[in-house]
Amino acid sequence: MSLQEKYQSLLELANNNGTTYELSESDSALVVTGVAPSSEAKQELWDEYNRIDPDYRTGDLVLNITVGDAAGGGVHTYTVEPGDSLSKIGAKYGIAWKAIFDANRDQISNPDLIHPGQELKIPI
Amino acid sequence: MKLKVLTVITLAFALLLSACGKSDADLAKAASEKLGAEKVSGVSVVVKDGVATLSGEVADQTVKAKAESVVKAVEGIKSVTNNCTLKPVPVATPAAPDPALKGKVEENLKKAGCTGATVEVVNGKITVKGTVPEAKYTACVQTINEAGATGFDNQLQKGK
Repeated sequence: MSLQEKYQSLLELANNNGTTYELSESDSALVVTGVAPSSEAKQELWDEYNRIDPDYRTGDLVLNITVGDAAGGGVHTYTVEPGDSLSKIGAKYGIAWKAIFDANRDQISNPDLIHPGQELKIPI
Repeated sequence: MKLKVLTVITLAFALLLSACGKSDADLAKAASEKLGAEKVSGVSVVVKDGVATLSGEVADQTVKAKAESVVKAVEGIKSVTNNCTLKPVPVATPAAPDPALKGKVEENLKKAGCTGATVEVVNGKITVKGTVPEAKYTACVQTINEAGATGFDNQLQKGK
């Protein structure tokens, strides 16, 4: 049975509840990337996923569903912790501190000065 | 007497007309409109003697089945031959390099309150181990799925 067949009822549900998605396949999983019209619609999909594959254990599906019109959707943000510096944060993502600085020039003027609790956009 | 015959003929004629119903072209048009209304795109319909033939390339099996059931439900269509083909599924590529993906998953987990999980990323495939609170298990799995990886080895345990 192909993965698409295994998760057919999930894809059907997505078609019916207004979720738009794209499929791709890696060597280990079917990757479903899409946008749901509401968080209820997203939850329906996850409930169905849980029904097909209890506790999402098999790892043959990546269900990357975001909710449309969500605030800040698509942009990854990092919340600054005490003791953080731009280069330390950069190291967590394997990117240069300068890249983070450039992405946040609207809220950082001095790269040596960031505050705990500040939300930084991470350009990845 | 003459009047009776005339009435019968008229009635028979009227019946014949309604039995013929819509032409093939009308049926094809109705089917296409219905497909459009159901948001099925890329499927074209040809109708001959009430038999609809579907063709075109669709995203997946689900859309193919939906197109068939939608057209079947059109009044006047006797049967459906479904010749739609499936679009080949592209190979997934990770959204970001491994270290960036790892950082993203770790931060997402932190935001979701999933402490106690450790993250490894190799070639776009995420492996997550550790124990997270049972009430947050689904939220933790969701946030990992949303990082843009192409694989997920879920070794999370549910704890208190």
